[in-house]
Amino acid sequence: MTASLVFDDVSVRLGDRLALDSVSLVLDRQRTAVIGANGSGKSTFARVLGGLVAPSGGSVSVFGVDPVRQASAVRRLVGFVFSNPDAQIIMPTVAEDAAFSLRSERLPRAESAERVRLALAEFGLTELADRAAHDLSGGQKQLLALVGAVIRRPQLLIADEPTAFLDARNSRLIADHLLAPTDRSLVLVTHDLDLAQRCDVAVLFEDGRMIGHGDPADIVARYESSLSC
Amino acid sequence: MLTLYRPGTGWLHRAPAGPKALALLVIVLAVSLMPSTWLAAAVGAGVAVACYLVPRIGLAELGRQIVAVRWIIVVTFGFQVIFLPLESATANTVRVVAAIVIAALLVLTTRVGDLLDAFELGLGGFRRFGLDPARVALVLAVAITTVPVLARIAVGVRESQRARGARAGIRSFVIPFLVVSLKHADDLGDALTARGVA
Repeated sequence: MTASLVFDDVSVRLGDRLALDSVSLVLDRQRTAVIGANGSGKSTFARVLGGLVAPSGGSVSVFGVDPVRQASAVRRLVGFVFSNPDAQIIMPTVAEDAAFSLRSERLPRAESAERVRLALAEFGLTELADRAAHDLSGGQKQLLALVGAVIRRPQLLIADEPTAFLDARNSRLIADHLLAPTDRSLVLVTHDLDLAQRCDVAVLFEDGRMIGHGDPADIVARYESSLSC
Repeated sequence: MLTLYRPGTGWLHRAPAGPKALALLVIVLAVSLMPSTWLAAAVGAGVAVACYLVPRIGLAELGRQIVAVRWIIVVTFGFQVIFLPLESATANTVRVVAAIVIAALLVLTTRVGDLLDAFELGLGGFRRFGLDPARVALVLAVAITTVPVLARIAVGVRESQRARGARAGIRSFVIPFLVVSLKHADDLGDALTARGVA
């Protein structure tokens, strides 16, 4: 399945700052990297896409759904992983936290338990099912956050700097899970340019404006050349 | 960590959360309403021990629970023994501790998810008054989970202050603690929204 994410002249004003400035973009590729400096608008772009921030102007479409007017519909389509794993843990234990994402779906208990079992197994967390979630390592917590997002089987997974708090080993582990071939699309906000180059397309932001998108190698090279100026 | 649940397969673990909560509530009330006598103290202590032995939770766990409430024991007994006879002070303290450790059996043997389901079910009748049981249950779950995070934030703030040579003080601690806690609350709100709750 390919993504169909459309930004049409989207602006976002946060206080007196223009966090996104007239961004127009169509994404039809499966894995999209979003890169740029701190404060360039990457995270705001991701949050608008996930329906967490409403645009001040313009329109957004996620698989034909408006994230503002059809918030509950977009929740079913989109999973979100943030950079700070601590802030994503809702329930005390690993299995309960994974199951929490399914509460709104009102699944039969057996089906919910089976989905949790499969998801924990996929991410190597089966042995930790009854452990206190806040006692896990940073990498394990981020894996759990990933479980919490993908267990609802979203069509689009948005990951906002998911490896920012992790060491090299755990970063690679999370990246491998995120970039593994699946049916779902991925929008990956990252400062890791190697990770960006593993995606199918890259988007470059600067001062709230989208200044380029296309082949990841080209976009990363453009970004790196701007850093050396 | 406030994750009190201890995995197990005994009958108390398998018992449905609602009836189990009601049964434990009855026992806690019975212990609480006993008179302040040596006999009542012995019966209260005996009931608490039985509640841990019969479902095979074990005396070691009972010991851990008593250690966890040691300051409640000190304060309760310390204040009462000043104003009341030794028999009353002892019996009252034993009743309070017995009630707490018996009530703890609910969270020791029940997953939070099952507790929330039971809680939602129990509050279902209040929907007609505009109460949303799912939301109340969620608030409880988030409160339970957030306590260790706040403790970690507090440690982080203190360490940052020490690293920068700042003197310890309520004001210099409270302001950064509140700022970081509110940021955490913001992030948690986003995470809840993203997971389909809001």
